[in-house]
Amino acid sequence: MLAIYKKEMRSYFTSIIGYLFLAFFLALLGLYHYLQNMYGGYANFGYALYGMRMFFILLVPMVTMRLMAEEKRQRTDQMLFTSPVSISGVVFAKYLAVLSMFAIVMIISCIYPLIMTKYGQVNLKQAYMEILIFFLLGAAYMAIGLFISALTESQAFAAVITFVVVLVTSISSGIGGIIPSDSKTGWLFFALLFLIFCLITYLIMNQATISFMIGILGEIMLVALYFIKPGIFEGAVQNFFDCFYILGRFDNIVYGILDVSDLIYYISISGLFVFLTIQGVKKRRWS
Amino acid sequence: MIEVKNLVKRYGNYLAVDHLSFKVEKGQILGFLGPNGAGKSTTMNMITGYISATEGDIVINGYNMYEEPEKAKKCIGYLPELPPVYPDMTVLEYLHFAAQLKQVPKEKQKHMIDEIMEKTKVTDVSKRLIKQLSKGYKQRVGLAQALVGNPEVVILDEPTVGLDPMQIIEIRDLMKELAKDHTVIISSHILSEINAVCDTVLIINKGKIVLSDSTERLSEHFKGKNDLTLEVKATEQQLKAALDPISEISKLQIEEGEEKGLIRVLVQAAGECDLRERIFFTLAQAKCPIYTMNIKKMSLEDIFLEMTKEEPEKQIKRGLKRSILPRNQKKEEAGNVSDL
Repeated sequence: MLAIYKKEMRSYFTSIIGYLFLAFFLALLGLYHYLQNMYGGYANFGYALYGMRMFFILLVPMVTMRLMAEEKRQRTDQMLFTSPVSISGVVFAKYLAVLSMFAIVMIISCIYPLIMTKYGQVNLKQAYMEILIFFLLGAAYMAIGLFISALTESQAFAAVITFVVVLVTSISSGIGGIIPSDSKTGWLFFALLFLIFCLITYLIMNQATISFMIGILGEIMLVALYFIKPGIFEGAVQNFFDCFYILGRFDNIVYGILDVSDLIYYISISGLFVFLTIQGVKKRRWS
Repeated sequence: MIEVKNLVKRYGNYLAVDHLSFKVEKGQILGFLGPNGAGKSTTMNMITGYISATEGDIVINGYNMYEEPEKAKKCIGYLPELPPVYPDMTVLEYLHFAAQLKQVPKEKQKHMIDEIMEKTKVTDVSKRLIKQLSKGYKQRVGLAQALVGNPEVVILDEPTVGLDPMQIIEIRDLMKELAKDHTVIISSHILSEINAVCDTVLIINKGKIVLSDSTERLSEHFKGKNDLTLEVKATEQQLKAALDPISEISKLQIEEGEEKGLIRVLVQAAGECDLRERIFFTLAQAKCPIYTMNIKKMSLEDIFLEMTKEEPEKQIKRGLKRSILPRNQKKEEAGNVSDL
């Protein structure tokens, strides 16, 4: 496991990717720190991070696209998965490597609040909590990137899909806001969503009758629910989209609210996607 | 050492490997032979634990691949079809990575890698990036990687692909040397290679074992002991008349020879008797000089071609006369006409 971790770390720094990631990240962070804290005069380091968070769209695919996809393309996965290291060991090592890259940046960013204390009162507790939650947010995104990288052989494809997924989870709350919040639209939205879900189950399982039955049953239940208790659909679309608004959970701490559920949310997402990656790799061995 | 029991691999409805069972003892070299898509690589991937089997068990050195995968994998060195090399590493870095991956103790690593590089003859490129190496060198680096950690079982999927003839001989010698204290499985479609190196051959086709025997016994088994091919300076009539007294001859096929005035004759004898001397003296008496006389011995190639065709039973007969049949048929027809 350690061997794979070391190899990953070295490969970041023998290619340009590692340097590019660090340079890009630190330059942007420095810029936002200057604009918000130095020039803007806000004593909250979270504002700098708040500006930074949109750049995960570019930064995450950059470091995660290669992780699993490239091994598969070069067939080096044959070496890894026939070596005396478990599949979870391989996936963990890779995830740790990408986290270490991110940790380097976050450790450097820990200096900024200290610099700010020179110029006035800074809430250090809040600042470091912000850094921690920002790190967890990044960790969640990187787990998603790792998972997407394990699905494909092409780095470019992995990068594009990761880009799209991170983008959607960054603006999903906004999408939810566009859709009218009345119960009829809500009901229509979920009816449509369920149909798409049934179509996906059909494509995966290739069994028309089961998908059809699930579809019919689900739609009947949705209709019944709409007539019995239409209030349930009011604002449900917004809630649905908010579930995917991974980025938004970071905002609480910037406003000075430490919600433990945010911490758990990010850690759960990281755990879930690392788990899914392991299962995905295992599944590929069976089919 | 390696025990494979009832191995099955299904891809959807496609049966890639169909109830394969075999055993390899320590110190043996097993050759895996089969046409493209026969399931050689699939089987090797399953033995090494890269992919899972749909059914069946694999036991390596007493460790079950599905119950104790890490221990089982530790006993295996594997060179897949394409060498699993990282193009951005130097050979030395790569082999160090392999050694760490295979949990070779740190103090032993350097010595082991030096030794393996010497064996596989990659020492002079050890400082170069793998992406700059030729295919043959990449193959050798892949082989070196398989030997790191001194595994008891070495599995090589077409190890000599991309090597020049000189290197092929070196690799063969290396494999023979390995077999002294390792168990080796090699897959190949180059039959002479299997013939030269392996103790046992396993011919598979469409995921099934078609034949499994030692290389020596195989050719022994298939040797057409009683089939002779001759080149004789005589006419057809002369020859027929001369050989007529030998009652053991069950079949006589005659065709035109390569040189002018010579005819090629295939003699098949009934039973196990060796007719060479009798034919020699008979034809000498009849003043029909024999230019060449050969026992038709089946090579592994013939066996392979036969066994991997659609219907093995029918193919055996045809295989024996494959080279002479078409021309001979014409001759027979012509002969019939002249007889009439």
